Amino acid sequence: MRKLLRYFFAFLPIAGFFSCGTTTTEQTFDSTTLTRASQEEVEKVIEDFIMAEDSSTIEIPAGFFELNTQLILDNKSHIKIKGAGMDQTVLSFRNLKSGGEGVKIVGNNISVEDLSIEDAPGDGIKAQHTDGITFRRINVTWTNGDKSKNGTYAIYPVQCKNVVIDECIASHSKDAGIYVGQSENIVVKNSLAFGNVAGIEIENSDNAEVFGNTARDNSGGILVFNLPGLPKSDGKGTKIYDNDIIDNNHENFATPLGEGPNGNTVTMIPPGSGVVLLAAKEVEIYNNRILRNKTAGVSIASYQITGFPAEAPNWSPYTVGVFVHDNQYEKETLNMPDLTRELGQLVSVHNAYGPGLTQDIIYDGIWDKSISETIETNPMKICIQEKGIENLYFTRFYLMDGEENIESFKDYQLFQNCTVTVRTDSSGLVGL
Amino acid sequence: MKKMNWKLAICTLGLSLAFLISCQKADQKSPSKSKPFEEEAATGLFPYKRLSTYGFFTGEMKNLEPNQEVILYKPASSLFTDYALKSRFVFIPAGQKAKIDGSDLDLPKGSVLIKNFYYPTDFRKPEGERRIIETRLLINEEMGWVAYPYVWNEEQTDAVLKVVGAETEVSFIDYSGKDQIINYIVPNKNQCKSCHNKSEQMAPIGVKIQHLNNELDYGTVKKNQLEYLSELGKLEGFEGESAHPAMINYEDQTQSLEDRAMAYLDINCSHCHSAEGPASTSGLFLTYDQKEAMKLGINKTPVAAGKGSGSFKFDIVPGQADQSILTHRMNSTEVGVAMPELGRSTVHREGVELIRQWINSMEPEK
Repeated sequence: MRKLLRYFFAFLPIAGFFSCGTTTTEQTFDSTTLTRASQEEVEKVIEDFIMAEDSSTIEIPAGFFELNTQLILDNKSHIKIKGAGMDQTVLSFRNLKSGGEGVKIVGNNISVEDLSIEDAPGDGIKAQHTDGITFRRINVTWTNGDKSKNGTYAIYPVQCKNVVIDECIASHSKDAGIYVGQSENIVVKNSLAFGNVAGIEIENSDNAEVFGNTARDNSGGILVFNLPGLPKSDGKGTKIYDNDIIDNNHENFATPLGEGPNGNTVTMIPPGSGVVLLAAKEVEIYNNRILRNKTAGVSIASYQITGFPAEAPNWSPYTVGVFVHDNQYEKETLNMPDLTRELGQLVSVHNAYGPGLTQDIIYDGIWDKSISETIETNPMKICIQEKGIENLYFTRFYLMDGEENIESFKDYQLFQNCTVTVRTDSSGLVGL
Repeated sequence: MKKMNWKLAICTLGLSLAFLISCQKADQKSPSKSKPFEEEAATGLFPYKRLSTYGFFTGEMKNLEPNQEVILYKPASSLFTDYALKSRFVFIPAGQKAKIDGSDLDLPKGSVLIKNFYYPTDFRKPEGERRIIETRLLINEEMGWVAYPYVWNEEQTDAVLKVVGAETEVSFIDYSGKDQIINYIVPNKNQCKSCHNKSEQMAPIGVKIQHLNNELDYGTVKKNQLEYLSELGKLEGFEGESAHPAMINYEDQTQSLEDRAMAYLDINCSHCHSAEGPASTSGLFLTYDQKEAMKLGINKTPVAAGKGSGSFKFDIVPGQADQSILTHRMNSTEVGVAMPELGRSTVHREGVELIRQWINSMEPEK
């Protein structure tokens, strides 16, 4: 192994050239041509949010609204917030001088439709403690040329129940474009996430379906994480199907260029990641087109791989119960796997097929020894049934013996003869 | 169609004129620019447009001289708000009493908390000339607490309700004699709840038993605040100072470093960073009585901090304040990095120093 490593690093300078990160500042439409709303019109929107009464609609007309304060909807029920179209009504928070997010929503049965949110210094739109929250045809983005100035999450429901994100666009977030955290009963569908560090992320959440979306040109396409130490301590039950997860080779700009990862887990995501599971529980991934992600199409990992303390109450660092089947893969051939992040280097150097080769599926092979002495019994229930798997690049790593003793295997057979039944139920979300 | 043209022209002219005027208005830094106030009757239907209508103060408004029904109070520690000084009063309706409910002070319906934010022209003479910026009212209405921000005019004769918030430049000479200019931001009405939030219900912050169980100088007399309220017949359930919890003032240098740090975090952070607060999402809980290392942020990775994390891994690295996200965010004024998110556009140097010392005093991990 070490010899291989040395051999590999001799080629690093050249490899580095070929595996350069891509970056994009693409915008869906040009908001600068819209008519600027007057101060009175802007104040009316702020007042409408403050004075909103239950069972009413806040209509925001066409125009470019420059806000210097947050829009907060506080503990209201059955409110519809409606713009004139995502390319017609733009709320810009470029001049926001205080507050964590552009738009903040708390309440029950709230929908936000047909508008755009730009340039919030923190998060674009956040919903918290809301039962019944729908985002439909909204576009949340940052227009900075220098993406290091961008905000954290674009669309951010957290601690919510019954969440629908439908036909939305989220781009250029420094963390996740669409981020659903500590929530239950979730549908993310028919949406587009591009140019983010993470396209779509489901974190510490139960009962989520992610389908019909396009996640392209992010560093990582679709992520399912469980992080330690949160009020909602662990999440389970996610289905990811019928998505286009393509070209997720954007440089990871969650930290400034040249700076390594910090304590935010997303800063460790190697560019070129299609789907990433971290400490995830009960996940089914099927019928997706996972194309040209230069590091790995599907990555299955336990939290220990981050190197952070991996103990917390009512939470397990292992990824358990995964069923990957019937996906379409296409390897990136022009670019080599990422070298800017440790996980990218692991794939580049230690995969089972040869240095610098993109992988279709990787498994960190970290298992709970209290369940089984060996991994031969597939103790973490990782099940993979892909057609033509013999032609895919599958690598299982062995990382449990220190950095000096990393090994890798092509033994997909260990994980082939099983299935996991993942139950999700989105029937309660039909009317939202 | 031709006939319509002159009308159109006038309309356009009118519109552009209106636009011009509105533009000028937008450029005003001080939205409280005085215009004559309309008379307003005290109908009992809150909120009033003008602060003076409530009749909380006697004599000249700017002296903030409370009338008999309005009682001075002061929490043990004070939330930092861009170095603004504050004077606080509570109004409890005649014939009614507040009750002690554990660590909460249960105020009857109709009670009003009155908090004035002001800057002395020279901080070395805090009793001298001053400018009052805003007065925030928390009114305990039928459905619960509601916040109303009032912005003072330049003449300091009155303040008007401004639900959309405001922004104004404040200049003063600081304690060390230096000229300071602050871009003061009055929060919009709903932003109040970003801090005053307990399980999504509006809630007071400073009016808790442990904050009031201490001595205050009322001018004529010095007395424990809870005792004073009891003697006025405005409070029941007070059983003497030692029978109730009490918190220290973080500025009190005679107290231990740890107690001071915890008191500081409690008053400045815990209204959001608690299990019932909006920042419960983070798992970082900074209440006075927090004992669990991870909840306090020790070797805890951030969750949704984004650029707030800087180049650091953990909220608190014991022994290394300069490697800790906590001090990094307290030390920043950049929106999206700065904590707390609201109420400050400057760094609270003394507060950062206290938390730095506390973190540096912790035993480093092996």
